[in-house]
Amino acid sequence: MTSTQRRVSRRAQHKLGGTGAKVTARNTLIAYAFMLPFLILLVVYHTWPVIFGTYLAFTKYNIISPPQWVGLANFRELLADEQFWSGLTNSLKYILVVPVIQVIAILVALLVNRPLKGIGFFRTAYYVPVVTSFAVVGLIWNWMYQQGGPVTAVLGFLGLPQNGSFLNNPATALYAVMFVTLWKGIGYYMVLYLAGLQGISPELEEAATIDGATRTQVFWNITLPGLRPTILVCSLMSTISAIKVFEEIYVMTQGGPAGSTYSALFYTYSRAFVDFQYGLAAAAGIIIAVISILFGLINFKLTRGGKVDA
Amino acid sequence: MTSPLPAATAPMSAEEHARLAAQLKSRRVARQRVQNVLAYAVLIVIALIMLYPFYWTLITSFEPTGNIYEAKILPKGVSLRNYAEVFSGTTVPFWRLILNSLVICVLGVTITTTLATLAAYPLAKMRFPGRDLIFYAILILMVLPNEAGLIVNYITTIKLGLLQQTNPVIDAVRQYMAVVLPGAASIIGLFLLRQAYLGVPQELIEAARIDGARELTIWRRIMLPLALPTIVAFAILEFVAYWNSFLWARIMLPDKNMLPLSAGLLELSSTFSTNSRAVMAGAVITIIPILIVFLMGQKYFMKGLEGAVKG
Repeated sequence: MTSTQRRVSRRAQHKLGGTGAKVTARNTLIAYAFMLPFLILLVVYHTWPVIFGTYLAFTKYNIISPPQWVGLANFRELLADEQFWSGLTNSLKYILVVPVIQVIAILVALLVNRPLKGIGFFRTAYYVPVVTSFAVVGLIWNWMYQQGGPVTAVLGFLGLPQNGSFLNNPATALYAVMFVTLWKGIGYYMVLYLAGLQGISPELEEAATIDGATRTQVFWNITLPGLRPTILVCSLMSTISAIKVFEEIYVMTQGGPAGSTYSALFYTYSRAFVDFQYGLAAAAGIIIAVISILFGLINFKLTRGGKVDA
Repeated sequence: MTSPLPAATAPMSAEEHARLAAQLKSRRVARQRVQNVLAYAVLIVIALIMLYPFYWTLITSFEPTGNIYEAKILPKGVSLRNYAEVFSGTTVPFWRLILNSLVICVLGVTITTTLATLAAYPLAKMRFPGRDLIFYAILILMVLPNEAGLIVNYITTIKLGLLQQTNPVIDAVRQYMAVVLPGAASIIGLFLLRQAYLGVPQELIEAARIDGARELTIWRRIMLPLALPTIVAFAILEFVAYWNSFLWARIMLPDKNMLPLSAGLLELSSTFSTNSRAVMAGAVITIIPILIVFLMGQKYFMKGLEGAVKG
């Protein structure tokens, strides 16, 4: 065994608690043979899009003729494009969903965490929208929102104004789509919070109760801080998917009425697959990616890095 | 501060003491009962909000006529006309869509699961130069936002010649692969399986190696059976993902006959403007397989999700 190999193996052992057969040329070959098909597809469909997409953002490209380097022209064009700005604004408005969905998901998780009979049924029921395609969910809610449909009936029952055609009204369409995102997503985050709740030691909560803490005190001082890592993960995921909202809009409103639900990613999609301006679309994609990273960092700060201790 | 104890109370007899304890207990039980009733009420209201849209679509899809968008508890009349209509009433070939979805799911789940179960093995249980590098590179890819993915993968698929037209059978296989391949290297899957493999005792593997077993045999005979729960969870997750995917297929496949069910449903709703009930029937047919798979593998499924976060 050469000294290089020994050094590599020791480092591997140190970092990942590595174990296994000795590092030999033959073992290395076998290891790579196991990973080869995965790695090929990973490079082609995951790494290459990052590299080539970044390059495309600085070019004019329509697939037929080769990409033409145009520097920052695409970005300049985007910043001057009112449609892009309105898409971006709608995507940012969509972040309104995040706090609502997180609060509701935490409350629902607390509720289904109780040892009640038949609780499994409720957990499963709340998860059904999650496993259903946006293609189906979008269609169902399009029908539900029709004038005179179930949504109108419920609003009437609650004594609220019965303007059922929310999706046809530019003032309400975005919020109507947001509600569907909320409805579909609650079950998903509920399961994650349930996992988080089960990670909190019951002894801690019991000890606090014995010391005379009220339920509210236990929640604010023990349960909520214990959930902080989960809150970080969940709010991060839901913020990023809010900025990238696309599928529900694609199925329900196609960006309408009057551009009121036109999101940033919908803009990217239209530029690429309707206008065949791949360079411009890639540039828009990069701006969305940068904004997502930015919001990810804000999230990280707000939840104090998801650390358990306050 | 004087004594924290309540001032001068008469000492209680044992009898009084027991009665007080019983009283407190029954009060607690009563309060608990009220709380449970309240909890059930809230649980039921949420369940109605989550399930009624599905139920409403189901019953409306069976109605032959009437005010289609009306809120209702029971269908006004039951007929299978709309279901017959889905299969015969439009130019969208519904049987073919079902077949496409099945092929895409079987191919997708098989390839994705095989690749991840293979690739995770060396990362968890072997030692070789570059292991850490590969693992961290993969993790970075997982968090890196990939907005250009749709565009570049579309270009790649075309450049790979997966949409070329030569011979109907080969074309079909190529188009199915065009739908499946971009998702086939699942980073989450690799991560989940690596976690599962790490839990397999190293002694077991060492013993097999000493007995002269080859790595492929160890993978097949030791790793796969012991990681089976995670593999099943992952396979179900992938089934749901492939069954529900519609956007990529719609972008990718110019031929209506090749679309999977979810994507074809949108096609159906845009061509079937006169009969929304038939589209509802189509939606019901689209949901049923996912519900069956989900209910069968529900326990694994939830665990798989939890594992993905806790990591």
